[in-house]
Amino acid sequence: MAISSDTHPSPAARRAFAAIVGDDNVFFDEQDRLAYQDKFAVDDALHHPAGAVAPATVEQVQAILQVAGERGIRLWPISRGKNLGYGGSAPVLAGSVILDLSRMKKIEYDPANGTVLLEPGVGFYDLYDFLKTKGMKHWLSVPGNSWGSVVGNALDRGVGYTPYGEHATKICGMEAVLADGSVVRTGMGALDGAPTWQLYRFGFGPGWDQMFVQSNFGVVTKMGLWLMPAPESLMGMDLEFDRPEDLGPLIDAIAPLRREGLLQQSPTIGNWLRAAAILTTRGEWTDQPGALADNVITAIRKKFHVGWWGVSLRLYGRETVNKAAYAILEQEMAKLKPMSLRPAIWKAGEALEATGWTGTPLTMPMQNANWHGGRGGHVGFSPILPQSGTAAMAQFQRTYARYKEYGMDYQASFAFGERHLINVNAVLLNKDDEAMMKRVDPFLRQLIIDARAQGYGEYRTHLDYMDHVADTYDFNGGVMARLNRKVKDALDPQGVIAPGKSGIWPSSMMEQAI
Amino acid sequence: MSRQAWTLLAAPLLLVGVHGCHRSSEAPGAPDGSPPLSAPETVLSRPDAGPGEGLYLEKCAMCHGPGGMGSGLLARRNDQPLLTKRTDLTVDFVVQAARTGIGNMPAIPRGEVSDADMALIADYLVSAPGAAR
Repeated sequence: MAISSDTHPSPAARRAFAAIVGDDNVFFDEQDRLAYQDKFAVDDALHHPAGAVAPATVEQVQAILQVAGERGIRLWPISRGKNLGYGGSAPVLAGSVILDLSRMKKIEYDPANGTVLLEPGVGFYDLYDFLKTKGMKHWLSVPGNSWGSVVGNALDRGVGYTPYGEHATKICGMEAVLADGSVVRTGMGALDGAPTWQLYRFGFGPGWDQMFVQSNFGVVTKMGLWLMPAPESLMGMDLEFDRPEDLGPLIDAIAPLRREGLLQQSPTIGNWLRAAAILTTRGEWTDQPGALADNVITAIRKKFHVGWWGVSLRLYGRETVNKAAYAILEQEMAKLKPMSLRPAIWKAGEALEATGWTGTPLTMPMQNANWHGGRGGHVGFSPILPQSGTAAMAQFQRTYARYKEYGMDYQASFAFGERHLINVNAVLLNKDDEAMMKRVDPFLRQLIIDARAQGYGEYRTHLDYMDHVADTYDFNGGVMARLNRKVKDALDPQGVIAPGKSGIWPSSMMEQAI
Repeated sequence: MSRQAWTLLAAPLLLVGVHGCHRSSEAPGAPDGSPPLSAPETVLSRPDAGPGEGLYLEKCAMCHGPGGMGSGLLARRNDQPLLTKRTDLTVDFVVQAARTGIGNMPAIPRGEVSDADMALIADYLVSAPGAAR
């Protein structure tokens, strides 16, 4: 869709926003517009917002939607705007007004049932501190960049590393404001006063939680989430594998353990660069352009003692159960002859590792933005694969060849779900290298095409590729896109809420584009 | 996400007394680009913090505390990567860097940190450099 918003808010509209949230929470200076742009953009000329407005309450969100609807203003809701690699706080449609929900920070906690009800501005560090004040009876699941919002991450189907790491599946009940200003609550929340809103996901009739995930059908103002009870014991191992071809057997060894439930977390197999890009910069190893040569890769691996692939497995829960499961894990992994296998053992009361496996928030992995040494960033490419070593190896080889063809350094991982793999690629950008930046967009589009040719589609993508990825979901002539548009037309015919999110546009804007 | 980095540097802490530290030179939370080994610095870490310090912990410490992204990257180009230990910061520099972004750091919009709060954070970082915190 090559359209942009021509509905920058007039002075009168800005005054109307200010009347709702106060002058101090309306942001339309040049510096404000710049601050909400995408720091990791492939093309810095795209996705510029018109400004921002920051409500603190649901009632203010309703009032802002009313003003926007009356004046034809497009809003782009963000929770905390840290969706780096996928667009950050920037909108698909240039000229949209950022609806910044970062001031909405209420937390309700049910320690008996292990649930929270969160507003979008609650960050992982906020929730971490909150749970510490309550005795850390429950653990978080955090993504590699924990700077952002708990709600926002779950809404974009972010993942973590504990048994609760598939965040969108831990959602239980939401509150959302529709474009017409009405406030809806999903699941048992539809029954006024129900004490089971955060306990039973489905309610009666259709379950609508997922309707608001990765969509633009409403503005989510509250989300229920289940938290993992703090385990008595943590056991596992960190493994390194020496050869690229070790990937397939490793996947085929882990997958049945994951499906069986012996392994309940979602392990992520990462390549050597995922570690190295955090620990060093490219310029320390080579000044040659193009994809890294094998001898350079070997030198970096040797310095940091990393395998071509590595994975960490963790068991959570009762110590006696973990010990029994650990013996099986150790036996199965030893068959693969890893280059190293380091056990990890922890019991309640001992010092705890501050990593994603313990749900401790962290930002250190974002250091990969500095891989090229200057202004950098990364853009995600993340197709969903079956849990098959053969399929993963083929995807790896096909993708790695494309990286070499386009002269890019290959950083990738294969993250387990219960039945699927996500092949997460972080395409590392050097924004000081004009020639490279010109290659990035065609490279990413090629990767999407390659994946589609295998029947694979991405689970999440950057603003630039939302239409492109949506087009790959093409069963029956793209009927899913038509269904999404019908829903959008019914709920938000003007496209007030996040037009273009996940490739969903109302018909009125499709006609405008034509 | 950071599987191998955690593995390399974090796992040994977990195993102290069991298998030893294979990279024992890495101090927990060392602000030298190493991953965090100890719990992150948060608002709860300093219950007696003043207003500016509390805001720094809430808004900045996730990246600029020990083990954070900002500290790790600043360690590559500055002898003192921790902002709270720097002696060369000015209010104008702190505000400008935060509002426009710098290096790999994204800009911090006013919706996230108000001008009043940003001023308190900058005053805190400038007023007591190098103090034992």
